[in-house]
Amino acid sequence: MMLVMVEKMNITKLDIRGKVCPMTFVYTKLYLEKMNKGEILEVMLDFPVAVENIPASCKQQKIGNVIDIKEVNLDKKTWIITIKKI
Amino acid sequence: MDFTEEQIERYSRQIVLKEVGGRGQKKLLDSKITVIGCGGLGSPITYYLTAAGIGSIKLVDFDRVDLSNLQRQILHYTSDINKMKTQSACEKLTQLNPDPEIQIINEVLSSHNVKEILQDSDFVLDGSDNLPTKLLINDACINLGIPFTIAGVLRFNGQVLTVIPQKKTTCYRCVFGDISGNTASVSCSQAGVIGLIPGAIGCIQANEVIKYLLNIGDLIINRILMVDFLNYQFNFIKVIRNDDCPACGENPVDLINNYDYKIDDACHG
Ligand SMILES: [Zn+2]
Repeated sequence: MMLVMVEKMNITKLDIRGKVCPMTFVYTKLYLEKMNKGEILEVMLDFPVAVENIPASCKQQKIGNVIDIKEVNLDKKTWIITIKKI
Repeated sequence: MDFTEEQIERYSRQIVLKEVGGRGQKKLLDSKITVIGCGGLGSPITYYLTAAGIGSIKLVDFDRVDLSNLQRQILHYTSDINKMKTQSACEKLTQLNPDPEIQIINEVLSSHNVKEILQDSDFVLDGSDNLPTKLLINDACINLGIPFTIAGVLRFNGQVLTVIPQKKTTCYRCVFGDISGNTASVSCSQAGVIGLIPGAIGCIQANEVIKYLLNIGDLIINRILMVDFLNYQFNFIKVIRNDDCPACGENPVDLINNYDYKIDDACHG
């Protein structure tokens, strides 16, 4: 039997292309703080180190679970990190 | 309240901390403190708390900048000599960070004005240099239910005690009250002090405020921090509340209106 969960969720999008660490995490954190538990934040960024740092800091400070990291093809290497607020 | 881009950048190094975050920063920006004295202790206290983004800072000092102050009172520059200390302080602090609302009061703190000056504060910091003023701050803050931190410095030594009236922690009078008649107690103008001692001790007082406001860590309550900078000894001395203390005891007395603080006899400097 397949259980289909249909969740109506707000997806908040944050574009911090051009920002570098630690500002990348500072912005991510400020957005997560304003969200409700379970809501989704999509962070678009282009600072390579942040791809590791943001998930690590979210885990360390227990503010969000990273559920997806994908590289998107734009002119410059860009990533979208999807985080579920906890 | 949402932060401006400038605020996010300015406070980024504390917002990033687990213990602070946006919520903690907002709490700091919404807080009001009063600092008694813009001297050796008041300098680091006000510099760091202004930089940290405390929303409202009241500066109380009656004195003018003197050449002999500059060795330790780093708020003031050579060009400030003879200027009111509060004015000199306000000029530096507003340049450091325009966020806090800085209010200045050019008065000697006395039993006549103490309650009015302190009443709207979330936290009070003693940066005075004499025992009568410290007792006055202690008694008024307990009466008003405002948490506060008191410090003293002499030669190479410093001490700090924080009091949280709501938690009935040991007060300054519990510990030092019985020597209050002795106004000839040495002040730093006679005994001397290395300038960075009030600098370091004032930083600890500022840390107490931030921790209290954010409700993190352990405060210097029911114990006194004694620091000896000559031999680098940092010790805590446990201090027990006196049930009969006229300020914080079971049957408190209206000290502000009845106790002779002898503020005018106290040695300032
Ligand atoms: Zn007491």
